Amino acid sequence: MLHIEHYSKTYSGGKKAVDDLTLHVRPGEIYGFIGHNGAGKTTTLRAVAGVMDFTEGTIAIDGHDIKKDPVGAKQVTAFLPDNPDLYEFMKGIQYLNFIADLYGIPAQQRTADIGRYAGAFELTGSLGSPIGSYSHGMRQKLALISAFIRRPKLLILDEPFVGLDPAASHLMKEYLSELCRGGSAVFFSTHVLEVAEKLCDKIAIIKAGRLVKSGPTAELVGDSSLEDVFLELEGEK
Amino acid sequence: MKKFLPLLKVSVQSMLLSSTNARGRSRKKAATGVGAMIIIAFLGLYLSGLYSSMLMSVLAPVHMEILVFIFMGIFALVGGLLFTTFAVKGVVFGGKDNDLLLSMPVSTPMIMASRVTAIYLENLLFSLFVLLPAGVVCTMMSQSGLGHSPLFWVRLVLAALALPLLDTALSVLLGALAAFLSVKVSRGALGQNIAMGLFFAAVFYLSFHLSGMIGSLSANAASVMESLSWAAPLLWMGEGILGDWPLLLAFAASCVVPFALVVFGLGKVYRQAVTAFAARSAQSNYQLSAQSASSQKKALMRKEAQRFFGTPMYFWNAGMGLIMLLAAGVASLVMRGKLLDFLDMVGDSFPLLPTAAAVMGFCLCTCPIAAPSISLEGKYLWIIRESPIADSALLWVKVRFQLLLTLPCTVIAGACLSIALRLPLWQSAALLLATLLFAVGHAMFGMLMGLVFPKLDAVNETVVVKQSLAANLAVFIPMAALGGAGWLYWLGSKMAAWTALALPIALLALLTAVCAAVLAKRGPAMLRAL
Repeated sequence: MLHIEHYSKTYSGGKKAVDDLTLHVRPGEIYGFIGHNGAGKTTTLRAVAGVMDFTEGTIAIDGHDIKKDPVGAKQVTAFLPDNPDLYEFMKGIQYLNFIADLYGIPAQQRTADIGRYAGAFELTGSLGSPIGSYSHGMRQKLALISAFIRRPKLLILDEPFVGLDPAASHLMKEYLSELCRGGSAVFFSTHVLEVAEKLCDKIAIIKAGRLVKSGPTAELVGDSSLEDVFLELEGEK
Repeated sequence: MKKFLPLLKVSVQSMLLSSTNARGRSRKKAATGVGAMIIIAFLGLYLSGLYSSMLMSVLAPVHMEILVFIFMGIFALVGGLLFTTFAVKGVVFGGKDNDLLLSMPVSTPMIMASRVTAIYLENLLFSLFVLLPAGVVCTMMSQSGLGHSPLFWVRLVLAALALPLLDTALSVLLGALAAFLSVKVSRGALGQNIAMGLFFAAVFYLSFHLSGMIGSLSANAASVMESLSWAAPLLWMGEGILGDWPLLLAFAASCVVPFALVVFGLGKVYRQAVTAFAARSAQSNYQLSAQSASSQKKALMRKEAQRFFGTPMYFWNAGMGLIMLLAAGVASLVMRGKLLDFLDMVGDSFPLLPTAAAVMGFCLCTCPIAAPSISLEGKYLWIIRESPIADSALLWVKVRFQLLLTLPCTVIAGACLSIALRLPLWQSAALLLATLLFAVGHAMFGMLMGLVFPKLDAVNETVVVKQSLAANLAVFIPMAALGGAGWLYWLGSKMAAWTALALPIALLALLTAVCAAVLAKRGPAMLRAL
């Protein structure tokens, strides 16, 4: 589903944020991406989502090269940044319809999906209010709903658990699993190692822009815990 | 003072010298700030110079120069209110750094005072550029030697320093009211649009009657003075500038006292005010019904419309020219009789067609709708970037949105003016062709300016819409192009009737084609590079 080959990103000041990253996410997989602050996780996710340009390598989503065919790649993708800023001049329902229109989601399907996800996240009643009046958690939920209604083949999430209450986090994990059972893939970054260990089929650990370890969670963790593995790789244990 | 100055610097930067983008390019940042300052200065100088000399030519012969300073004082006061009332809502109460600053070990009144001082500095800039040119005009045109004494200039500068204090106090109060209404009233944007509409209607009414008022001023100067008793502080200012020190002090006191009251009074409740104005709670009574779908382009256009009509600051600053354009067209029909009398009086030598085109072009210049739209995406740019939309499609949607508003208004105004001025059919067609070409070129040029001088990290819409270099250049450079077209008309008229029309139209077509080519070729890459 996602093929990252020899991807590198160098910022204008000369700093290499990511160096020669190769990583593959298969359909049906939940792939966790972990690393310390500034390791290059967000830079990678933003490049995969087509939000940020990059210098070297190729990224392909469902066969669409993000540089050569960005529209095709984005059509099957949903991306959620760590702190999603949503149009404050729109009402929640207007934002969902705006996104649905951009992705060409039929009226009947969007009505059903908005009803389902907004109901589950207990946001239906607030959809008629301006986003400017939403709390941080409500915005996070609205952004999540806007991602789920796209029925993406690849869902990219940057720190998705930040700002969500425990019930919403639990719900989100269920929906991520459901999405993958349907053949989609999820690629997300997190600092919550316990969640990554339980939820992810595969995990990649990045350090100072370089991939230091990746593979199936069970193989990677072995008899220890993901926290031990991570700290060992980071040289802090 | 040690803490106040950095706070003031931040507030001023956010208003005038805000950076072009998050990565910070210092030279470009400086150019943006200096450019904005130059444009505000130019506007003040031009308007003040024009109206001061018009008034002085009538009032100097009857030794009523004082009225010039009173009128310019009113102009500076009203203009300042216009410039800063909505800025107050964003800068003083709605700053996005509120949480950051209020959590710092700085007293709340000091934060408020620093922001109010930034508003004062903007008002001061406008006040200086309105009152000082009036002093220059007075020195040159007064028959009683006013302006030749250094003390006259000392008094004038003191007045120019004091007046913005009153302006600031009023704009802070009005801005607080606007912030309060936007939270408490469910359709706050609509309310603000109606309030601004009424305000501009009054300004239009006064403008339409200004020439008539100026004409009768010399005969009724004394009674006009008496009728201005409601503006006593400004009367004291006028008397003070002309030499009455006690009245100048009274004027200064009438500015300082309200300012001090507002600063100290608001300083005490600033934290509560900021909290109250920011607190908008979402309702929980929405019931989902069947949704309808539309195309990608319609969705993007609707989003542009929601932002434009739902942001009073954007609507009134970038859409004012549209109202002026329609008003000019309708007014020409309503006052057709007077217009035709005037045309009969000036004869055939009056360049009717280029004047009509210039009026329409000027109105279009003041509609930089596309120019700030990229910067207004700001922190929301990720939404568009992660969506399956080609970069070029986004740019052209923004251009098309401006055209959706400007083209119909241009056609209506052009048709009204053609009928009112009894233009032959071929001249009407030329007028429409030239102005439509200009409208198209202006939209694309504005889009390019928005891409070249983006301000994605602006703290509020005010900075983007009113003070960004992109928006200002999208107003003034097309005005220069209009001047060039006028010059070509004059040059062409020396050769043949058809060249007088063909040359400016050819220039506008060329400029439009260049903008279209650059936008098509470079625009998407520029957008990606943001």
